[in-house]
Amino acid sequence: MSVSVLVVDDSSMARKMLIRALPPDWDITVRQAANGIEALTAYRQGGVDVIFLDLNMPDMDGYQVLETLRREDLNCLVIVVSADIQEAAQTRVRAMGAIAFIKKPVDAARVKAVLMEYGLLL
Amino acid sequence: MNVEIISDDQRDALQEIVNIGMGQAGASIARVLGEFVELSVPQISAVDADAIPVTLATLAGSGVASAVRQAFLGELRGEAIVIFTEHSASDLAELLSYGNEVDGPASRELLLDISNVLVGACLGGIAELLHAEIGFSAPSLLADQVAPGELVQAETIAARCALLVEVRFGLEKRVFRSHLVMLMPEDAVAALQRALDRFIEEI
Repeated sequence: MSVSVLVVDDSSMARKMLIRALPPDWDITVRQAANGIEALTAYRQGGVDVIFLDLNMPDMDGYQVLETLRREDLNCLVIVVSADIQEAAQTRVRAMGAIAFIKKPVDAARVKAVLMEYGLLL
Repeated sequence: MNVEIISDDQRDALQEIVNIGMGQAGASIARVLGEFVELSVPQISAVDADAIPVTLATLAGSGVASAVRQAFLGELRGEAIVIFTEHSASDLAELLSYGNEVDGPASRELLLDISNVLVGACLGGIAELLHAEIGFSAPSLLADQVAPGELVQAETIAARCALLVEVRFGLEKRVFRSHLVMLMPEDAVAALQRALDRFIEEI
């Protein structure tokens, strides 16, 4: 069964860069959201398995999304994809429930390694 | 008055590239200062040269501010201006334990050093993504503790129109705020556009 992926970033260019970096043989359906509010709306509609989440976004940022998801019984895997590469940012998002942190610019090999580590890709 | 000098796609690509450069700059000063650095979403606009002083004054806020300027040269050409809002210098001095020397040359040196780290990391990151060669002049103090309106004089800006890219760095629980502004004159924007188009084609 295909995996439902939600890509959240305020930059359409960044979403495109991430989607291109996903393994071509990964059976997925992709939805996109341009900010945290759109992301939560998509998530609440159900069926989202994996969220690729940017941190710095207008309106509602990635930290707020993580906080909300945790309050609402997080039921999907969140992988943070961010240009904010401070150690502290990585530690924070992991403490807030993200399973992994991928630095921008996104490296396809790193994405693949994360997906394999969590059994999302065989 | 804003003028459209780059396309929507180019702007979108530039915004993301600046975002990545800013992230690298943020991580660099976070290491230097040992503090968590808050980053803004980059803002990009085209401004007439005579509107630049007012735009910078608005960024600086209400108190006295300081500014450091550093030229960048090569395929990407322009000027980076780092604005430090009031009390940012003393905040930095306190963090880095400069003690009582904060009002003297040590404080000015600190602003130059921090600017150098921000500009080098941010623009270096941008140039790397665009596969562009870039060099930097030494940073120099443009204004030291002046009213925001006096940060930069209109006549020092050569271009008629410039692309203005702005990012903001802040520290949690501290007053330190700095804005990194990149100004690219109209005739340097063409080279940037070519580099952006190459970047867009690659993704």
